[in-house]
Amino acid sequence: MVTPVLLENPLRQGLFSDRVPPPCSLVIYGASGDLTARKLVPALFDLYQKHLLPTSFSLIGISRSKISDDEFKQRLKESLKKTEPQLSDALWNSFSQNFHYMAGGYDDAKTYQALSKVLDDMDKDNGTAGNRIYYLSTPPEVFEDIISNLGAAGLSKEDKGFSRIVIEKPFGRDLDSAKELNLKVREVFQEHQIYRIDHYLGKETVQNLLVMRFANSIFEPIWDRRHVDHVQITASEELGVGSRAGYYESSGILRDMFQNHLFQVMCLIAMEPPVAYDADAIRNEKLKILKSIRPFDTHALDNWAVRGQYGPGYLEGAKVPGYRQEEGVNPKSITPTYAALKIFLDTWRWHGVPFLLRSGKRLPKRATEVAIQFKEPPNLLFKTNVGGLSPNVLVVRIQPDEGITLKFETKVPGMSMEARTVNMDFSYGSSFAEGTSEAYERLLLDCMLGDATLFIRGDEAEAAWGALMPVLTQWETTEPAGDFPNYEAGSWGPVAADRMLEKPWRKWRRL
Amino acid sequence: MTTTAQSIEKDLADLWKQGPEENVKGAGLQKVYTTNLVAYASGHDEGYRVEQILNDLAEDHPGRYILIRPAADPTEPALRHYVSGHCFFEEGREKRICCDLVKLVAQKDVIENLYGFTFSLLLPDLPVEFWWPGDLPYNNVFFDKMAEESNRVWVDSSKFKEPIKSIARLSAFWDKRYHPTLLEDLNWVRLKRWRALIAELFDGVWAKYLGHIRQVTIEYGEGSQPTRSFLLACWLAAQLGWKYTGPRFSSYPNQLEFESPEGPVQVLLKPVPVPDPSLDRIFAIGLVTDGVEPGIFTVVRDEDPHCVVVRSEISHKLAFSRTVTFEHLHTNELLHVGLKHLEPDPVWKKTLAFAGTLLEKPDLTQTR
Repeated sequence: MVTPVLLENPLRQGLFSDRVPPPCSLVIYGASGDLTARKLVPALFDLYQKHLLPTSFSLIGISRSKISDDEFKQRLKESLKKTEPQLSDALWNSFSQNFHYMAGGYDDAKTYQALSKVLDDMDKDNGTAGNRIYYLSTPPEVFEDIISNLGAAGLSKEDKGFSRIVIEKPFGRDLDSAKELNLKVREVFQEHQIYRIDHYLGKETVQNLLVMRFANSIFEPIWDRRHVDHVQITASEELGVGSRAGYYESSGILRDMFQNHLFQVMCLIAMEPPVAYDADAIRNEKLKILKSIRPFDTHALDNWAVRGQYGPGYLEGAKVPGYRQEEGVNPKSITPTYAALKIFLDTWRWHGVPFLLRSGKRLPKRATEVAIQFKEPPNLLFKTNVGGLSPNVLVVRIQPDEGITLKFETKVPGMSMEARTVNMDFSYGSSFAEGTSEAYERLLLDCMLGDATLFIRGDEAEAAWGALMPVLTQWETTEPAGDFPNYEAGSWGPVAADRMLEKPWRKWRRL
Repeated sequence: MTTTAQSIEKDLADLWKQGPEENVKGAGLQKVYTTNLVAYASGHDEGYRVEQILNDLAEDHPGRYILIRPAADPTEPALRHYVSGHCFFEEGREKRICCDLVKLVAQKDVIENLYGFTFSLLLPDLPVEFWWPGDLPYNNVFFDKMAEESNRVWVDSSKFKEPIKSIARLSAFWDKRYHPTLLEDLNWVRLKRWRALIAELFDGVWAKYLGHIRQVTIEYGEGSQPTRSFLLACWLAAQLGWKYTGPRFSSYPNQLEFESPEGPVQVLLKPVPVPDPSLDRIFAIGLVTDGVEPGIFTVVRDEDPHCVVVRSEISHKLAFSRTVTFEHLHTNELLHVGLKHLEPDPVWKKTLAFAGTLLEKPDLTQTR
């Protein structure tokens, strides 16, 4: 993409950093929170080090905490030093020279009047050219206050430069609230100004799903119901709920992982080739997939969706508490910390192919991957060492150890015709010198550049909620059957998830 | 044992069967090849240095590496070979990632005809990079043949003994002689960060000052050939549409006069005292603009040797200031940066062509 910067400044030509965004101010709501210090500022610093932050850039942090500019900067610096221990004072001072902090209520019109003045001053003194990004890193309860006040203060207008809003997940907590939030935000901002963030889409290997599928011709002919037996998408975590009990109790695994991350990954795997690599072409195709999700049969939901909650167990040899024993969790909580869904997409390409999605906390390891399992050959000619031949599996590892593995059969050396399964392995880390960028780094840069390809459109968010609502509603209104918690911390989840697979050759992968 | 392509492949196969290093218990081994890299070293010492650099590179760009150097003694065999493996553990993985190095030591007359043999050792379907670390050769069959057949040739103009003549030759005949092979200069890679820093001074609202540049000063280490500074000046001129109509140079000038669409531009190449004169380093760049709002744009090495300060003043008021890290890049790091991208660099091509118009015309009869 040729950026406006390159068109104006011919000295940028040929530099790999020619994706330099135009000057802008970034306003972070909830700036005293964890996300700003732990993710956003390190991502901005990486952009700064790579010369990808515009020369005229300002950061204005807003939150309720009454702290000074200096205290704000000091907190950010201390946090950044954890990941950048070599950070010198000169470098930090230079990076943060246009960082400012404002204390104020999110519902207080005065906060927005003051912000408007600060932004105008930045435009005048720092050349930020009227370009603004408002990043909502606050609890979702205050989204509407912020949005309506931005509108009332005239800060969403694009008369001087661009004006964009970045909304962190969760985007709503169900279909109704997502619709309401969409309505609210669209009263003030137009869709092209809205960037709904799902940091999974900022991951290099998630983007590689698009390259793998649409820059190689060998996969397309076998990417359909005739060749694929099923697709497994797994996102497992060994961590428990930790300090997020308050949030987690009201959200659970479906809201936390499925409505956004796992559904988005499924879309990238299942979607039709877009006509172009641009925001709308890709999001149109993703939307079709979300709309094609066959409605869950709520009369026999256990055949389609399994919920779980971890009990006490062992991880890496150490005893860990169950979910209900975690601090801040209701001792009788039925919040799911594990879910497995069997999804069918009613499209020509995927008719009859189950997409098996699972995610859970306190599973044996942290791993995210997509496994496409192909059908077995129709006629088995060869002996094998153990049992039958294994089906071919193409695994895309998203984290950690990003890469692609193809499992296939090969002849065992010797006089007989025995076959054995081997892996052909591609590892990102070993083949590319370049380390993968952090997701927030990529997404912040894209937002500054006005590229919404890796952000979620409003209709996508609603379609994802719409598909998930029958499961959410039933799980929240009925007690789980049988023993609950139903899996030990450190295990691969409840046994019921195995029963959902139907066919004897379908097994959850051991990661 | 006679060196043949087969014997080398067999030695490599044996090497991987037994494992190239002490056996690491339980660790699998995965061979990864992303490129072919052929390097030529003119002597034993350079060979040692080049081998070290290849070892450093292997971790970031695993591939089939072939190092060729002349035998030190005429009594040595006409051609000898050595094979070795390079393995490392990738973070978070149990497998070792491995690639290999084939070293060929040959008598000089053998090297001249060694290109065909070298090609037979390359891995198919992977790009072929050819690195010539020393002075640009004249009438060298091995260089010519390798340059014709490789995807890209890496030279280092800071190592040219006669940089003016060599740059003029490269500018005049590379495409005619070796097209479509790409030519890259590690000295140009060194300039990349200077270019990025200058470029960022003129982003956005500051772009309007580009047309008002009237003077450029580039300070470099006294006692060295200012090849890098000269290339930087040529880059500015080529990108900003400055014209040069003066006489051609047979040695580096201290001053260049250009004509931009908006007026004259003077470029000064200014030597400054340095502790180590062997290093062709740039120390500071200053660009002065005229007009209603005169400006000064500078990129200067900071007191902290790991940083530079990028700064601009408009109408005597500070407009922009930024301190950024700036580490010296060694040859392995320059190659690492260069090898990451396979696509041609049109700006380098344009700069080299522009440089050619300033330098004395080369004698092309010396180039086969």
